[in-house]
Amino acid sequence: MSDFLDQVEACVPALRRYARALTRNADLADDLVQDSLERAIARRGLFRPTGPVRAWLFTILLNLYRNTLRASRRKGETVHLEAVPELSTPAAQPGHIALAELARAIETLPLEQKEALLLITLEGLAYQEAADILGIPLGTLMSRLGRARAALRVLTGTPAEPHLRTIK
Amino acid sequence: MTQITRDTLMAYADGQLDAAARAAVDALLAANPDAALEVALLQRQGDAIRTLFWPVGAEPVPPRLRVRRIAAETRQHRRRSWGWAVAAVLLVTIGLGAGWLARPLLDARPPSATLIADAVNAHIVYVAENRHAVEVGSTDSEHLSSWLSNRLDTDLGMPDLSAEGFTLVGGRLLPGAPNAGGRAAQLMYESPDKQRVTIYVTAALPDGQPAYQFASYDGAGAFYWANARITCTVVGTLPEAQMKAVAGAVYSQLTEGDVSTGRSYRG
Repeated sequence: MSDFLDQVEACVPALRRYARALTRNADLADDLVQDSLERAIARRGLFRPTGPVRAWLFTILLNLYRNTLRASRRKGETVHLEAVPELSTPAAQPGHIALAELARAIETLPLEQKEALLLITLEGLAYQEAADILGIPLGTLMSRLGRARAALRVLTGTPAEPHLRTIK
Repeated sequence: MTQITRDTLMAYADGQLDAAARAAVDALLAANPDAALEVALLQRQGDAIRTLFWPVGAEPVPPRLRVRRIAAETRQHRRRSWGWAVAAVLLVTIGLGAGWLARPLLDARPPSATLIADAVNAHIVYVAENRHAVEVGSTDSEHLSSWLSNRLDTDLGMPDLSAEGFTLVGGRLLPGAPNAGGRAAQLMYESPDKQRVTIYVTAALPDGQPAYQFASYDGAGAFYWANARITCTVVGTLPEAQMKAVAGAVYSQLTEGDVSTGRSYRG
């Protein structure tokens, strides 16, 4: 039991990081993590120790996040894009992605692309593990990743995609 | 040339390929600057995303996200929810049992009588338990102390009874008398020959007056005192002299630093 709690505890920094990247709001993110931890601990009886605790926690967090989004949409609340804090941007250099611009670009991605992109790039999960967390086939995950990255490239104005004629 | 898709390049950039597939892509990249640029862009994107958000994971975790704290609170909620049914049965049992046992005390109905009866009943219920004698074991005594202190809203140290031959088994939170904060902490100690004593602590009664009482029920001795901060009942089935020694040690340790205790214990 305490072994389970130790495993959960070890995931807290990653959950906070992921939640912050998803919500772009420190309080909302920690609320989300707290709700996820409470739910996970209350339902630990349902956890089958065959899979990693981490994947289970991410699944819970994402479900809660989607529910809150759905609920707030029903209530007609708006998300304030202006409230996104400005990040210090390193002097623009050719080929460098301006971080603030990137942050804003990520925010405009559809949730299904954003959640996939962050699981892979930020949390470094294996494709299959991320696909399982999101409950989608591997191919769907990869196409969401591809679309997310292409969109970010357009939004941040990084050099146009090279033509990959020689490779398929 | 081997066919390498854009998905493969992405998997390569994300570090998802095994060694053999990686080597194949390496070979391709060496010969194909366009593909190499594509990979570099993907990797730069990933680096930028990590630069943005990775530091959040290194921030200190706020107390409300401490897993053990959440676990302790969840346990309580759960107990509270199914507790009503058990409470009904327990209340009847305790009511009948304590009422009968504590008849001489309850006749006058001072608040201390309720507390002592609760303490004796909690003692009888939990010293009989083996695996579930306590909720939090002494191995986690720091957590036990801070948890119970928070719940009772007073600073509660774990008395050290090693001089009396008793070691801490652990403790639990119990529902308590409404006029003493509604909650009680029970600490359990055990001697090498498996004799057990319990200490039942609640927040102070509304009057906060110092009080002292020794009561005995069916062979269980209960030593009760109250001060402006807490009420405490030490319960055990030890011989009277030993009981007093234990109670005295508990008293002096739990009232340490309290200036308003009025007088010191003389057992």
